[in-house]
Amino acid sequence: MTRCIQCTRCIRFASEVAGVDDLGTTGRGGDMQVGTYVEKMFASELSGNVIDICPVGALTSKPYAFTARPWETRKIESIDVLDAIGSNIVVTTRTGEVMRILPRMNEDINEEWISDKTRFAYDGLKRQRLTFPMVKDADGQLVPCDWEDALLVVSQKVKAAGGKVAAVAGGLCDAEALTAMKDLLNCLGSEAVCTEEIFPCDDMTGTDFRSNYLLNSTIARVEEADQILLVGTNPRFEAPLLNARIRKGWIHNEADVALIGKKVDLTYDYKHLGESGDILKELSVGKHPFWKTLQKATRPVVIVGSGILQRSDGPIILALAQALAEKLRQSSQGCTDVLTTTEIRLWCCTMDAMATVESNWRVLNVLHRVASQVAALDLGYKPGVDVIRKHPPKVLFLLGADENALTKQDIPKDTTVVYIGHHGDKGVEMADIVLPGAAYTEKQGTYVNTEGRAQQTLVAVTPPGMAREDWKIIRALSEIIGLRLPYETLKEVRERMREISPTLTRYGNAEEANYFKQALQLAQSLKGSLAPDSLSPRLLTLKDFYMTDSISRSSRIMARCVQAATQAMQSKY
Amino acid sequence: MSKLIGMDKLRNLLKSIKHAGGLRAAAYRLYRFNDLRWGQYVGEDKYGNKYYENKFFFMGRSRWVEYPPNVGTDYDASMVPAEWYGWLHYKTDNLPTKVPPVKYPWMLEHSPNTSGSNQAYFPYSTTRQKIEPWLPPHLRSQSGQA
Repeated sequence: MTRCIQCTRCIRFASEVAGVDDLGTTGRGGDMQVGTYVEKMFASELSGNVIDICPVGALTSKPYAFTARPWETRKIESIDVLDAIGSNIVVTTRTGEVMRILPRMNEDINEEWISDKTRFAYDGLKRQRLTFPMVKDADGQLVPCDWEDALLVVSQKVKAAGGKVAAVAGGLCDAEALTAMKDLLNCLGSEAVCTEEIFPCDDMTGTDFRSNYLLNSTIARVEEADQILLVGTNPRFEAPLLNARIRKGWIHNEADVALIGKKVDLTYDYKHLGESGDILKELSVGKHPFWKTLQKATRPVVIVGSGILQRSDGPIILALAQALAEKLRQSSQGCTDVLTTTEIRLWCCTMDAMATVESNWRVLNVLHRVASQVAALDLGYKPGVDVIRKHPPKVLFLLGADENALTKQDIPKDTTVVYIGHHGDKGVEMADIVLPGAAYTEKQGTYVNTEGRAQQTLVAVTPPGMAREDWKIIRALSEIIGLRLPYETLKEVRERMREISPTLTRYGNAEEANYFKQALQLAQSLKGSLAPDSLSPRLLTLKDFYMTDSISRSSRIMARCVQAATQAMQSKY
Repeated sequence: MSKLIGMDKLRNLLKSIKHAGGLRAAAYRLYRFNDLRWGQYVGEDKYGNKYYENKFFFMGRSRWVEYPPNVGTDYDASMVPAEWYGWLHYKTDNLPTKVPPVKYPWMLEHSPNTSGSNQAYFPYSTTRQKIEPWLPPHLRSQSGQA
């Protein structure tokens, strides 16, 4: 028996929001049935939302269905960290176990949707977890031990290293842990605190200006844009909810989208300008034929994927995007010189209403891929691990760094690798000492999303076994080393964060960044040339979307999603 | 007369000390078994346990086992094998050395109780684990994880 009342909400969601016309009805009257016509997958990264919009419960969550009743569960309002959007979620728990993850309304970020990775990757939180500290013995095997033993070994190694200490922060770290780690290393006399995710960082471009690394126009206002230029990004899989916003603008606001980079299915029509970086160069000097179209835009948006900025010519790409964005900003504000007289009259009529909007309209946007990056850059982490390659440390801290940015070959053999994190993934394989940390559902942590909005996760379940919150591990370690960090409570850590950057503790607030002109002036002095490679993002098809970090890689549900997506690609339908 | 002034007690004590093998050994034996006794050696099993009898003591105290010296104080009544159990507990007066017990091929080798040791039996859990921990490669086979 089906509970379906043929309201067709799911069908309308699929075709209007998700942009995948897979669902439909067959039959008439009492025989009407909702389905995909043939046996195939609802191939969308937002498919899970039909569970929430189904008014009768005919569509249920496969992993959660019939495992718990809502009145038995506790609901904790939290933040998702599996992409850089920072979707607001409700973590539902029972008996100390995460039962499901639901979206929480936030019109500024995710509206009422969340992506499938956010919704279904929670079973990864229960597998491959680090639950006890481990230290390598004489045979080179990791052996479980007590916290005291592990911290003593680390402190001995750190003391013996004499300031030759470095840290790499991964993509799932909270700002508290990042703060404690940086403070500890700076106390030890080391400046080698890096993020695993690369971002252009030299004297000319890079992270000195906050506007260089934020999604400046904010997620909500992307839907107001009339011309969107995507550079080397696939927002559909890097940030599904931003893609839903762009699609919303495309449908309701007549926004035109153009893409430089690999041709991908974005669920809406766009103009594909090509794959080469030269197009960006031509656009930034106004030579490309598409410039005429761009020029007319009153609310243009340029979104650069952080993925392509990781190449060796990343700074150049960013500088070109900056130049283009500044040019567009000027042309969108003072575009009277290219308009005809009738248009000027129209322009003047709307000027009063638009003037305030246009003056603070921001064009340049960087779309990050990992949740911790903006907070790390705000705190002064160096993006990329080149510093560590050049100056090999004696002790290397991996703060949840699981993307193999550094391998055993990059560091000397006698370097002690200390892994602080929650999953046994790639980072643990090279670790000499493992200190188990807490995942995002297990700690109260601050995350800053790609638009610079600080938000905090709340504790839904306790960390498993002997695992502890990351900043507390670092604080305890500092005391054993003998350089006590001056904070004992979360409040005091956040006070320290506020000292470094006040934006980090203004929760819910997306702090605007400015100084585009100054950043551009610096960037213009940059020398170098573009690489001939195509501006291709890493996530191209649906099967690439599901497993991108240590949590989703441990998830069985995500593994089955990859399997299903692979099969769907091979299917003749 | 000697009984009246307790000379027999002294004699028994000396016998016990002699049985233990000297003053030092007697002190060690007292430490190990909380007990000093003299008696007739009646046999030894293949695990090194030695069995003694002295009818001077009343029944229940008159037969005893002395565990091999290598176990120290870490001995256990379950170290007595089945063939000696009967004699030691007065189920029979036949010594297994004189009247060997019936031996069938399906009989298992005697093993002492392993509780409290690392070979102790733990029943596997029938409840689902809430968290599957990551284990270093050399520990994975022990816990039955793939």
